Amino acid sequence: MYILKNSFKSIGRSKGRNVLIGIIVLAISVSACIGLSIRQAAQNAKESALEGMSITATISYDRQSAMKDFQPSMGEGGKRPEMPEGGFDRSEFSKMMGNDNSLSLEEYEKYAEADSVGAFYYTTTLSLNGSDNFLPVSDETEDETEEDSVESEENSQDFGFEMGGFGGKMPGPMGNMMFGSMSDFSVVGYSTHAAMSNFSAEGNSTITEGVMFTDETEDFECVISEELAIYNDINVGDTVIFTNPNNEEESYEFTVTGIYTSTEGNTTDFSAMMGATSLDPANSIYTSSNALAVIIANSEENSSTMTDEDTGREYETALTSTLSATYVFKDVESYEKFEDEARELGLSEEYTISSSDVAAYENSITPLTTLSKIAGYFLLVILGIGAIVLVVLNIFNVRERKYEIGVLTAMGMKKGKVATQFLCEIFAVTLSAVLIGAIIGGVCAVPVTNALLDSQLAQTKANEEQVQENFGGMPNMGNMPGMPGGMGGMGGMGGMSKPDNIDIPEGFMGEAQNYITEIDSAMNLTVVIQMLGIAVLLTLSAGAVSMLFVMRYDPLKILANRD
Amino acid sequence: MSILTLENINFSYGKTKVLKDISYEFENGKMYCIVGKSGAGKTTLLSLLSGLAKPHSGKILYKGEDIKNTDKYKYRSKYIGVIFQSFNLITKYTALENVMLSMDIAGVKGINKKKKAMELLLSVGLDEDEANRRVLKLSGGQMQRVAIARALSYDPEIILADEPTGNLDTETQNEIMEIFNSLAEQGKCVILVSHSPDVAKMCDECYELKRNSKK
Repeated sequence: MYILKNSFKSIGRSKGRNVLIGIIVLAISVSACIGLSIRQAAQNAKESALEGMSITATISYDRQSAMKDFQPSMGEGGKRPEMPEGGFDRSEFSKMMGNDNSLSLEEYEKYAEADSVGAFYYTTTLSLNGSDNFLPVSDETEDETEEDSVESEENSQDFGFEMGGFGGKMPGPMGNMMFGSMSDFSVVGYSTHAAMSNFSAEGNSTITEGVMFTDETEDFECVISEELAIYNDINVGDTVIFTNPNNEEESYEFTVTGIYTSTEGNTTDFSAMMGATSLDPANSIYTSSNALAVIIANSEENSSTMTDEDTGREYETALTSTLSATYVFKDVESYEKFEDEARELGLSEEYTISSSDVAAYENSITPLTTLSKIAGYFLLVILGIGAIVLVVLNIFNVRERKYEIGVLTAMGMKKGKVATQFLCEIFAVTLSAVLIGAIIGGVCAVPVTNALLDSQLAQTKANEEQVQENFGGMPNMGNMPGMPGGMGGMGGMGGMSKPDNIDIPEGFMGEAQNYITEIDSAMNLTVVIQMLGIAVLLTLSAGAVSMLFVMRYDPLKILANRD
Repeated sequence: MSILTLENINFSYGKTKVLKDISYEFENGKMYCIVGKSGAGKTTLLSLLSGLAKPHSGKILYKGEDIKNTDKYKYRSKYIGVIFQSFNLITKYTALENVMLSMDIAGVKGINKKKKAMELLLSVGLDEDEANRRVLKLSGGQMQRVAIARALSYDPEIILADEPTGNLDTETQNEIMEIFNSLAEQGKCVILVSHSPDVAKMCDECYELKRNSKK
């Protein structure tokens, strides 16, 4: 007890030195508090947004990882790749890139049995052609289309050849473009109405005429876009005919039960560039996945092998579909648990589970997390420098009080107690300064963080613009329909069939990202506890030096030298 | 019975032997004076007796037990009271605080320490104002009195004093010696180190280093 009493007495009697230490610690703690607050703000922003938010996730084949197996090993010096002897195994590569790696519906359903999964739905996408009186919306005139049709077809075939250069098919509508002609329509089949989140209250599509197709029906019913209806003069109750792009004799007649409008931006420019009208949202047709299952089964039954006239390659005429399954979780914890459960149910490591909701939100807090990282490094530097300064000051302090140490130990005070008294003094000064620093830091944290965030945001946007410039300002690929998982390797384009129950910030090719631009509060109990931790850390680092010196001193020598 | 016994004590600084085969016994109720020329090892002997240094050979027995085997901090803080030549007071504290601190270190409990410290300071000739003054603002004689009060604060059986009258005028010297004399009369063992013949004369026994003679 007397140690504490002496500590406070000693602090009071050495005001100058302690005020100096206090000012240094105050500067450290204000900086540390702001740094910690920034980090906490980033954490809070992430947690609060994801808290209670229902998460959707998809399973996709990990092409990036698989690609590594095909990448030639680097030569000496890491500059020149060495091709494997005997060349590149293209058949293996194409197998990797092909539809063979897609999971079947049965497999998706198996993983849906995991406890963490709240709901499960899927979409099936087919690329189909229209008929003479049912044409896709296009920005080309009919005449031009007819005139250029041959050229267009040639181009698209060339393009298809390039894209399918290794003999494989890309899944999704792109995959259906590989051989033969490009398809006209993207027909998306939903397993249930609940899956049609773009038609929900928060969605961007609404039925303006007629009704939605019957839920889970096997009948050939569909809804089409308003643009398509006007373009082809179609009314509710009319029938439209789709044909297999690989076999024009294979056709299916659908009844239009409804017409919808969508606020989703169009991709006309891009689709025109790609030569694929099916990529235009106006050419998206929605139906039941059960109806598409009937078509697929029929197409497989009547399938035949044909040869491409230009390339001489053989292909099956059967329609290939793209399946996209979506798992819904009640919260982030369930989503995080799902991976383990799916692995236990047999999901191979070649597949990854990802959530565009989580990813999108993480993207939106990018400037804040970047700032948080910088704040983390800044914090380390500040603490490092602070600790060094305190240690040096403390060395001077202990040396200055050498005589006092000698007297106290000569009087019979144990060295440990002397060291403890010194430690208490440092701790009391440090703690007071840290608490004052926490108050000042807490007040300054929000404006400072927001100012830094503004600067970080400006930098991020500048980088984003640079990227857009580098990519030639490609339009809004993020809105392309029906590319579920198929283009997963293309980053911002992946998982585009997910329901629109949250605002997904667009990828780098899309619209401007919705970043968090300011925070309301940053200081909380965690920061206070961390500040106390810093006080203890600084005290211990500086106090350890006192300990060493005190333990080393011999009272007799000190007093003899004094005499 | 002797309270403190020296048995064949040897001590050297490097190759220079300072104390050679010293044996002596100190008893309660007596005042001893260790005399000798400068460099004879008087202060060294005092350091050994106070437990601040260890003899290279030989034993120092406190009540028959080798102090090497006892807790040196406890020995210093409870059993002996040392009055250093340069007082060795904590300069940033007041006289009263210095005395109270030594009571704290000795673990004195159950009494009003402040009251006891003040009584001690008054008994050695300081007034209340001086007792509450920082020791740096006291004269040499007053500091010496504070050092004596501090040494007595926890009621040790042995008082060791190194040149306690060295810097004092004759009048103050007599007053201080009177205090030591009264302590010896109270039954304490008072060991003084001095080269003053006047101090030596006032002691019951005198041990002269090198000549090993008793008065």
